[in-house]
Amino acid sequence: MLKKFDKSTGKTILRNIAIFFAILGPGFITGSVDNDAGGVTTYSLAGSIYGYKLIWTLIPSFIVLLVIQEMNARMGIVTGKGLADLIRENAGLKLTFYIFIGLLIADIGNTTTEFAGVAGSMEVLGVNKYISVPIAAIMVWLLVVKGNYKIAEKIFIVFSLALLSYIVSAIMSKPEWNQIGTSIVNPHVEFNNDYLAMIIGIVGTTIAPWMQFYMQSSVIEKGLKKENFKFVLVDILIGCIATVVVAFFIIVSCAATLNVHGIQINEAKDAAYALVPLAGNLASIVFAFGLFIASIFSATILPLATAFYVCEAFGFEAGIDKKWKEAPEFYILYTGILFIAVVIIFIPNIPLIHIIYLSQVLNGLLLPIVLIAMMLLVNNKKIMGEYTNTPAKNIIGWAAVIILIALTLLLFVFLFL
Amino acid sequence: MSFFITFYLSRIVGTQFFSGTGEPLGKVKDLMVDFSQEKPKVIGVKAKVNSEIRLLDFEYFDLRRTGSTYVIYCDKIKDFTPPENLNILYLHENIIDKQILDINGRKLVRVNDIRLARLDSGSFAVAVDVGIDGILRRLGFAKLLHKLLAPFKLTVPSRYILFDEVEAVDSSTFGITLSKPFTKLHTLHPSDLADVIEDLDKNSRKAIFEALDEEKAADVLEELEPEAQVDVIDSLSTEKAADLLEKMPADEAADLIDELEDEKAEQLLNEIEKESSDDIRDILKYEEDTVGSLMATDFISFNEDKTVGETINELRKLKPESNTIYYLYVVDKNDKLLATVSLRDLVISDPSTPLNNIMNKNIISVFDTDEVDSLAEIISKYNLLAIPVTNKDMLMEGVIVIDDIVEDLLDKRKTE
Repeated sequence: MLKKFDKSTGKTILRNIAIFFAILGPGFITGSVDNDAGGVTTYSLAGSIYGYKLIWTLIPSFIVLLVIQEMNARMGIVTGKGLADLIRENAGLKLTFYIFIGLLIADIGNTTTEFAGVAGSMEVLGVNKYISVPIAAIMVWLLVVKGNYKIAEKIFIVFSLALLSYIVSAIMSKPEWNQIGTSIVNPHVEFNNDYLAMIIGIVGTTIAPWMQFYMQSSVIEKGLKKENFKFVLVDILIGCIATVVVAFFIIVSCAATLNVHGIQINEAKDAAYALVPLAGNLASIVFAFGLFIASIFSATILPLATAFYVCEAFGFEAGIDKKWKEAPEFYILYTGILFIAVVIIFIPNIPLIHIIYLSQVLNGLLLPIVLIAMMLLVNNKKIMGEYTNTPAKNIIGWAAVIILIALTLLLFVFLFL
Repeated sequence: MSFFITFYLSRIVGTQFFSGTGEPLGKVKDLMVDFSQEKPKVIGVKAKVNSEIRLLDFEYFDLRRTGSTYVIYCDKIKDFTPPENLNILYLHENIIDKQILDINGRKLVRVNDIRLARLDSGSFAVAVDVGIDGILRRLGFAKLLHKLLAPFKLTVPSRYILFDEVEAVDSSTFGITLSKPFTKLHTLHPSDLADVIEDLDKNSRKAIFEALDEEKAADVLEELEPEAQVDVIDSLSTEKAADLLEKMPADEAADLIDELEDEKAEQLLNEIEKESSDDIRDILKYEEDTVGSLMATDFISFNEDKTVGETINELRKLKPESNTIYYLYVVDKNDKLLATVSLRDLVISDPSTPLNNIMNKNIISVFDTDEVDSLAEIISKYNLLAIPVTNKDMLMEGVIVIDDIVEDLLDKRKTE
């Protein structure tokens, strides 16, 4: 009797593991894409300018990210509809139009950022941007339009482990662990526009608006069900932890080297260069490789996700399984976003750092708007039935909205004072 | 006075309406339309009167055109109670911005605006606007853009679909249950309907499946992608799901059940009639990549002793479906596969001829335990449309039809 019991529990554990791996994906991929070129740049800047002082921001970011992604997954599972669908159906055309124009512009900026990441990381590895960027763009385009995206996604998941290389970089740079601890336990707050902008940047890149759309759509595409929700939560948790851990080590490695030696950087690639004398050639190459993988992964997913949700909102056919003729708007948008991003990179003497910075700020501005839309949708009984938010989630969600809006307003006040 | 006006919903919603003497009475919020008639007729107006939302009888409303703007008049404010058993929807609340099925285009489109017509006999919803022109009109840019483009002889592309050719399918947005939903879906081919259903959310999928008759529902279920199949089966009651599975070919049903969780699969197999469930269980025994898992178990075989006349009589009695009648097999009394016989030879031969004389003993067959991958090569090498499947003792087990092989190849290409 006992033996039989053991066998069956063993089987359940095996089955649960199997279910988990089948479900693993949406949260984990979103988490990995989270640390894109914009993310690496922002975290590097934060580390080099403020040292360990801003590490504490990762904790509230983590909590908000977790709560938001859980809401996305829940909405996707309960309604079976994408976030863009829900916004269009409930907010009407006018509001939808302006939100999505904003998102489209921000995402063109974000895609440019990804290619800037490709250019920068390849320059560190000795390849000119006029070679690396067009090749990368064409490869990305072919992969999605002619190739097999599903397989590409699996390869990317494996490659995204390369992001863990930042941990190596960080440890090689011998950080001051007790200072890190102090920063977390006793957060340091300044009230000036540079500091506030950096916080908005960190939050905006960790919880980028377009990711909420991507997350919800992939939950639906995976066909996840209510019964599997606990596995979905584990997936999200792993994704969020991965995001924050990688962000933590990027800040740490830049803080331990660049900040200590008072080196100012402008881009993520500067961080890679600057690591050479301080932490060795290998640390620099590892850093650049991580940046390259992060950039190319996001450069694939971001234009695709954007084209997809814009079409969803305006009722155009969309999907990579459709032919060009069946879904012209979708392919024009997708190709157009890639094309514009590459053209921007090629403009001589373009201040790339400003474009990266502006797109992060635009992310930060759009985030509260998307969040408000999500909070209203997820609390709508007509849409969610019995699966509306619990009070605790509402408190965290609305607090995040209010704090983000307050930070943005404060930033504007400081800018114009 | 008889006149004909067409107008857009977007230009009506949110505008004021007036009494005959020009006094403002309230604001139009939405139009209620009865879809049970041939032409969807406007029957009610949701309006804000003295900061109170009321449903008013459309009977007393009228629309007049002055220049390029419309003025709405109302003779009498009378509350309206819609009769029961009508297919009633609000145009703005239930249709605008929602996805709707374009029957001819066989795809889902999003409604940007609705075009209505005012005739002597009443006002009717004529067409849904799914074009860019509709988006611009809602945003308030349309008139401006038309003016700007006019000198260049350019127009904004507009696209309308008549109400006869669309069906509201997104049940989650109805808010009310339609008494006769989805009547136009029957005109679609099951494969096309399956494609549309895959694009819908699961609540709407469920609603559609519950509305389709069983034959059609089973055909559509067969054509769905595995993930959508599982989704639909999970959403239906065990009884209804079992009914549908019974109507599907055993090999397709087995594929579907294989995708389900063990507990659910067992529950369904117990609910399905024994004859069907035995067939399905037989197929489920085979490994995934073996011929047995792919074969159809309903095939037609005759004993070698029969004459052509007897064979044709038996066929008339069996009335086999078109996809099985072309592949006829001859077996001995132990069901051992001996030969094939073509429908052509049966038809042109004298009724008294024994099957023995016209059958083709030179047959190509496969074992139920063979690999599925070997099949494509065999059918292309021998130009076959179907291959009989036997066990190791040459006893006939089923048939593999070319469709199944093509489908298998396509699936593999998709996932590779």
